[in-house]
Amino acid sequence: MPPLQRAGQAPPLRWAVSMGNATQYSAFAGYHPLVNYLFFGYVVLVTALFPHPVFLAISFAAALGTSACLARRSMPKFGLLLAPPLMALAVVFNVCFTHRGVTILGYLPSGNPLTLESLLYGAASALMIGGVVLWCACYGAVMTSDKFLYLFGRVVPAMSLILSMALRFLPRYRAQAARIASARRGIGMGVSSPANPLAKLRAGGEILSVMVTWALENAIETSDSMRARGYGLPGRTAYANYRLDDRDRGLLVVFAVAITILLVLVFSRIVSVSYYPVFVMNAGGASPAPTVVWAAAYPVWRAVAYACHAAVCFLPLGLEVREDWIWRRARTGMLVDGAD
Amino acid sequence: MALIEVRGLTFRYPEREQPALDGVSLSVERGAFVVLCGKSGCGKSTLLRHLRTALTPHGERSGEVRFDGRPLDGVGLREQAARIGFVQQSPDNQIVTDKVWHELAFGLESLGEPAPAIRRRVAEMASFFGIQEWYEKSVAELSGGQKQILALASVMAMQPDVLVLDEPTAQLDPIAAEDFIGTLAKIHDEIGTTVVLSEHRLEAALPRAGQAVVMSRGRVVCAGAPSGVGRRLHALGDPMLAAMPTPARVFFAAAEKKLDSATAAAGGLAQNDNGSIPLTVREGREWLGARAAECRPYNSQDPIGHETSVGAAFCRPQKTSAPPVVSLKDVWFRYDRAGRDVVRDLSLTLAAGEFLCVVGGNGTGKSTMLRILTGENRVWRGKVRVFVADPQKAGARGLAEAGLSALPQDPQTLFTRPTVFDNLIDVAAYHNKKAAPEEIEAEVRRVCALTEIEDLLAFHPYDVSGGEQQRIGLAMALLARPKILLLDEPTKGMDSFFKEKFSRILRRLTADGASVLMVSHDVEFCARHADRCALFFNGSVVSEGAPREFFSGNSFYTTAASRMSRGLIDGAVTAEDILDNLFAVATPSDTF
Repeated sequence: MPPLQRAGQAPPLRWAVSMGNATQYSAFAGYHPLVNYLFFGYVVLVTALFPHPVFLAISFAAALGTSACLARRSMPKFGLLLAPPLMALAVVFNVCFTHRGVTILGYLPSGNPLTLESLLYGAASALMIGGVVLWCACYGAVMTSDKFLYLFGRVVPAMSLILSMALRFLPRYRAQAARIASARRGIGMGVSSPANPLAKLRAGGEILSVMVTWALENAIETSDSMRARGYGLPGRTAYANYRLDDRDRGLLVVFAVAITILLVLVFSRIVSVSYYPVFVMNAGGASPAPTVVWAAAYPVWRAVAYACHAAVCFLPLGLEVREDWIWRRARTGMLVDGAD
Repeated sequence: MALIEVRGLTFRYPEREQPALDGVSLSVERGAFVVLCGKSGCGKSTLLRHLRTALTPHGERSGEVRFDGRPLDGVGLREQAARIGFVQQSPDNQIVTDKVWHELAFGLESLGEPAPAIRRRVAEMASFFGIQEWYEKSVAELSGGQKQILALASVMAMQPDVLVLDEPTAQLDPIAAEDFIGTLAKIHDEIGTTVVLSEHRLEAALPRAGQAVVMSRGRVVCAGAPSGVGRRLHALGDPMLAAMPTPARVFFAAAEKKLDSATAAAGGLAQNDNGSIPLTVREGREWLGARAAECRPYNSQDPIGHETSVGAAFCRPQKTSAPPVVSLKDVWFRYDRAGRDVVRDLSLTLAAGEFLCVVGGNGTGKSTMLRILTGENRVWRGKVRVFVADPQKAGARGLAEAGLSALPQDPQTLFTRPTVFDNLIDVAAYHNKKAAPEEIEAEVRRVCALTEIEDLLAFHPYDVSGGEQQRIGLAMALLARPKILLLDEPTKGMDSFFKEKFSRILRRLTADGASVLMVSHDVEFCARHADRCALFFNGSVVSEGAPREFFSGNSFYTTAASRMSRGLIDGAVTAEDILDNLFAVATPSDTF
């Protein structure tokens, strides 16, 4: 268990920056960007690439829980709204347009067979799509632009700056376009009736042309400002507010162990799935099995695989619950200061 | 040895006849605070840009710039970046990244500092400038003044020996500008950084300066301690004297009056020749206090004799009988349902031929009020009438045809064509659809002469200075033949010379029956030229009146002359008022 707080150390700055706004941060977002990124990399890849029903179910449940938890902290609820219709579509499409599989349940109005396998595969796709959409929504809320820039700034320093500049310019351009429209209106040259689409289009074109000049002109001053502060000198470094601490290292070790175990079990086909022509789950390990004892232990190994996957997927939720618990105790005065 | 040494620097931009710099020599000592002033377009920026190789403009050049005993060209770019900090005019354009902390680190990243060193310097700077509060914010959330302080802090994070600032306050409101200059003084006092600052707002900067340099047409007119420079300008009769702080202007004008008057003692001014002149309000009060016996309280019934400048504007008759052309009654406005009211319970009228100034702090809703009048903002309670019509019903076209014209704060938003002339023709043609091309051109020429932009017609509007852009914007607004002219901070970036001219343009408009509603921070301008002033606070007008009663009633939000003469000459709000009442009581005192 990582210590709650280390004595004699300033609280890490990144806690507050993690969500852009101190009141909105979640426990998991307080971890190092690398931890955040690897986590999302894992859950999205496994959900999208490994259609094992148990894995998908675990992943989907965790995604749902994490989204609901983040939505409480003013994450856009877009993902939660988008997922159900997409999932329904996945099932319907698969059933209607895939007729593979041998277990025929009946016939569709089109005369094609409705198979159990296509139904199962549709359900798995639904879980997969729902899981990926929800995880991506969580990713958006946790991986703020600073974190992304920090991670990739190390790989390509120029890219980090370009992205940061782009994030600054886009809102500026939007605001300037609005100001130009307002200014032209002020001297009587704005669009008179919004109902006239042609006039609106022409006015829009005019604003766009002004914007181009404005952007280029102002970019000169920006580039002067960059050169004045030594941009272009060799050996540029990238600074960030993040520090990889023991807490983060602990989680990275957990990831590494869990992922290694999973890879071994998946590639030895101890956990496996195939939908067509017949739905077969966990058909067996390497055949022939090295020993009888090894084969007998397969159910145990499968349980280990599910547990590892669940441990990773539910990590943000677990951290959140743990943090809530700490704060509740702290508030009721049960936590003695410095308790480790 | 001087830190910066400029010797006989002459520079000419490509394809220009006149040299931008003509034999400029200047020396800046280590730890000095130098203020560079002059009309807009006098070569201040060009000179400052020569202090950094990376920013030096292209063109023909002769002469030499030396930094720390070496020719500047021989000082490496890395050393220049670290040792010579450069701050520019626009708060928006010189900020590069999206987050405050990243901006602070930007220069140090360029210099290749390791992360722990950057962390420490950034923390130091954030603490020194008091910006911990917004350290994690997006730059977009900051005000203009905060952005400019951030630009300064991010340069200071590199710990330069000298700070070069090119009109850093030109786009700030007066309060943010004072803050900025105050921060600069703090850097100079507490860190000992050498400061070279170009400014046209001398009221704040000059008292802090150890050395003032006045430029005109690419030449240095005079340089030295501010008092000495003031005396020299006075002796030369240089127009830059008008840009001096109010106490200094009163001092010189009083000296002249004393000399001209029959009771003047020989050499009244010469006696004090080596003494300092009052630059701040406090020094002005001391100086005036010493002459309290010769002052009399201001009497508004007095006829004001002098017609020298625009001070005469005060004895204008009140225009009360005409019906208002604009009226706002119990108006409330907010941007969205859940937001707070930006304009609340506002009632205001504008009479025909009236020049009304609305003053007040940032974010009090002044500009929002203007957008209510142009119909852009729809009020949710109250009645708005512009020429007896509701702006919402009249629509933008209808309002423009009736004669409403609004000049935005940033004139760059008006420029859609590649030359100044095309822009003007465009507006003129739009508002005179039936006129022949010759008539339109004549109209444009007339307005250009009025706004003194004839020389700029062939240029791209972005290639002229900020003050000149403001004039072009004004010309465009005038070409719409306004009966009501709405102005949003029009004097921002204007030098004191054009301000006088600007006031005459407005005066001519109102004499022809047009009304002007101006929203401004420029208290001095409003006091001198308005018919009526109103103080905007928290979404509505809290007090209004003729400039004299308005400003003499305020204690803090008032002109330098009023603060300087409070209790000594009550009711005086301009330098001219003080002069009129100084020496008005004959005394035997001869010493000046």
